[in-house]
Amino acid sequence: MNSALSKPLEGPVMLAIDKHLALQQQLFLEARLLDDERYNDWLGLIDEAICYRMPMAERRFRKDRSAPLAFGGGRIFDENKGRLTMRVDRLQSGLVWAEDPRNKVRRIVSNVEIWQGVQTNEAEVHSVVTIHRSRIDGEEKHFVAGRRDVWRETAQGWRLVVRDISLDTSVVLDSNMNTLF
Amino acid sequence: MINVDDLIDQSSGAQRRMIYADQAIYEQELERIFGRCWLFLAHESQVPNPGDFFRTYMGEDEVVVVRQDDRSIRVFLNTCTHRGNRLTRADRGNARAFSCNYHGWAFGLDGSLATVPLESEVYFNEIDKNQFRLVPVERVDSYHGLIFGCFDKNAPSLGEYLGDMRWYLDVALDAMPGGTELLGATQKVIIHTNWKLSVENVCGDGYHLGWSHGGALKATQSGDFSGFTVGNSSVDLEGGMSVAGLNGNSVLATLDGVSGYAFYPNPTLALKYLSENRAKAVERLGKLRGEKLWGSQLNLTVFPSLQFLPGLNWFRVYHPKGPGKIEMWTWAIAEKAMPDELKQQILDNELLTFGPAGLFDNDDGDNLSACTVQSRGWRTRQMPVYTNMALGRSGKRVGLPGDIASGVVSEHNQRYFYRRWQEHMQAKDWSEVPQYNLNPLEASDEQRTVQTA
Repeated sequence: MNSALSKPLEGPVMLAIDKHLALQQQLFLEARLLDDERYNDWLGLIDEAICYRMPMAERRFRKDRSAPLAFGGGRIFDENKGRLTMRVDRLQSGLVWAEDPRNKVRRIVSNVEIWQGVQTNEAEVHSVVTIHRSRIDGEEKHFVAGRRDVWRETAQGWRLVVRDISLDTSVVLDSNMNTLF
Repeated sequence: MINVDDLIDQSSGAQRRMIYADQAIYEQELERIFGRCWLFLAHESQVPNPGDFFRTYMGEDEVVVVRQDDRSIRVFLNTCTHRGNRLTRADRGNARAFSCNYHGWAFGLDGSLATVPLESEVYFNEIDKNQFRLVPVERVDSYHGLIFGCFDKNAPSLGEYLGDMRWYLDVALDAMPGGTELLGATQKVIIHTNWKLSVENVCGDGYHLGWSHGGALKATQSGDFSGFTVGNSSVDLEGGMSVAGLNGNSVLATLDGVSGYAFYPNPTLALKYLSENRAKAVERLGKLRGEKLWGSQLNLTVFPSLQFLPGLNWFRVYHPKGPGKIEMWTWAIAEKAMPDELKQQILDNELLTFGPAGLFDNDDGDNLSACTVQSRGWRTRQMPVYTNMALGRSGKRVGLPGDIASGVVSEHNQRYFYRRWQEHMQAKDWSEVPQYNLNPLEASDEQRTVQTA
C-alpha cells in the first residue's frame, strides 16, 4: 500500500530543548500574570507590533454556498499594542464596578506545542486555554479557546508577536469579557 | 391572564419588580407582545441572493428568513411539520431546500413539502403534501431594508406601527442613497437578565453612562462628551432630547450632528464623511434632521426589542429566553454610501466599544443581571422600582414629532416604554391597543420627505 503512513511524517521542527522549556515556562508565567491581574507586567511580554485577534464564530454548514461577508465576520478582539493598553487602562481605572469585588480567574493552558517559526528567532506555539471565572455567589463561567501564537526571541526574552484566538462557542456565554486570553 | 393594572403606575413612574421575574407574566408577554408586535427579523443585506437564509427568533419561536427566487422575502417557522424537529441548524447560509435531519423530509425555499422519503412505500402516496407546508409568519414587511415579521393578522401595517417614528428612523436609514447595510457576523451574547431591563438601559437611560461606563470613558478618553459625565446630575440639558409617545417607540438624541462618533478612539474618517455629505443629508432630510440629527448620538428603539445607535453604529435585537435570560444579537450598521475604509473601521470600532468584549458593553451586563436577580426574592418582587426622573417635564417641540423631554439624562422614554408594555399586556387584542403619535407630523410639514416604498 502506498499510504501516507508509509512515508516519514514531515513534521515541524522543534526548538532546542532549553529554548523550548524557556518558552513553555513563559506561557505559564503569562497565564499567572493575567490571573493575578498583573496587566502591566503582561504588557511587558507583548511586542510593540502585536496582532491579537479573536474572530466571531458562526455556525455554518460545512458546504456553505453563501457569499462571504463583504467586510469579514468581524473580530471580538482585533488589538494592537495601543488598544490592548486601552483595555488594560479600563481594567485598572478603578471604575469597572463589575470587577470589584474581584472575580477570581484561573486559566489552564494545555496541549502546548512549540515549534520553530518561519524566522529563525521565532517560535510558533499552539495551545488550548480554559478560563474559569468565579463570579458572585458561586456562579462560574468558562471560556474555552484555541490559540496560535508567534513568539519572537529578543535580547530581553521571548515576546508575543501574534495571537490568533479561536473561541469555541458561537454564543458568548458571559455578560462580559473583562479578561484577556 | 395576569392583571397588570397595578404593576405599572404611570403617575409615579413606578414598576413592580415582579414584571422582571414572574414566569406567568413572561408567558403573557410571549402572547401579547412578541406574539402581537412587529419584530425585527433581518436586514435585507443579510440575505442578498436567492436561496440565502437567516435563522432568528420571534419571541421564543425560531424562524428562518428566506430570499425567494423572485427576490421576495418569506419567513417560516424553523420547524419540521412532521415531528417538529428544528429544520435548519446553521446561523445563515444559502440553500436550494431545507431537509429535516430526522426523517429526511425536504422543503423548498417557498415552504412547500418537496420530498418525503419512501412516499409510495410507506405513505402509499396518500399524503397530502399541501397540508404539511412550512408554516409561514402571517405578516412580513420591510422598512428601508429592515425586514419585520408579525404573527398577528389583525396588527396594523408596519408603517402604522412605526408611525412618526419613521421620521427619526429615516435619519439613520435613509439619509444617503442606497440606505444601510449590516456588517459582520451576528455577535451573540447570553445575558441573565429580563429583556425589558436591556431595552430600558438603551431606550432612555443616559443617566447610567457617566457612572456605569466610567472606566471605558476614561480609557477611550471620551470623558467630556456632551456633558454626559459632569457629575451625574448637572449635564447640559440643551445637549439633547428624549423623544417618546410614538406608539412605544423612542429616540434619545444629541443635537450637534457629530457626537455619534465621539466614543471612537479615532473618529477622523467618520467626521470627514459627515462633513463631505452634510449637504446631501440636508437635501434628503431637511435642515433640522440633516444638520442636527444626522451624525448625532441617536438611540433608536422600535418597540419591543430592536435598538440601534447610528454613530456608535451598533444595531441590536434581544431574544427573550425566559423571564431571566436573553440572547443579545448585535451587528455593526453602516450607510452603503460610506467608503469601504470607513465601513471596515465602523465594524472594528463597534466591536471595540459594544461587541462581546466591548469596552462599554462589558459594563452593563452585570448590572442588568443583578436588577433581575433582585426582583426574584419573595420580598423584593413586591417592591417597586422607579423611573420618575423629570416626571411631567416634557412637551411639544415645533417640527419634532413625539412628547419630548430635554436632555439625554431623563427617564422619560423608559416611562413610555413601560406604559406601552402595560397597554399591550392589558389588551386582549389589537383593537384594544391605543395608537398614539403625539404631536403628529402633518404631511405638509416641510421637514417631511417623501417616503420611498
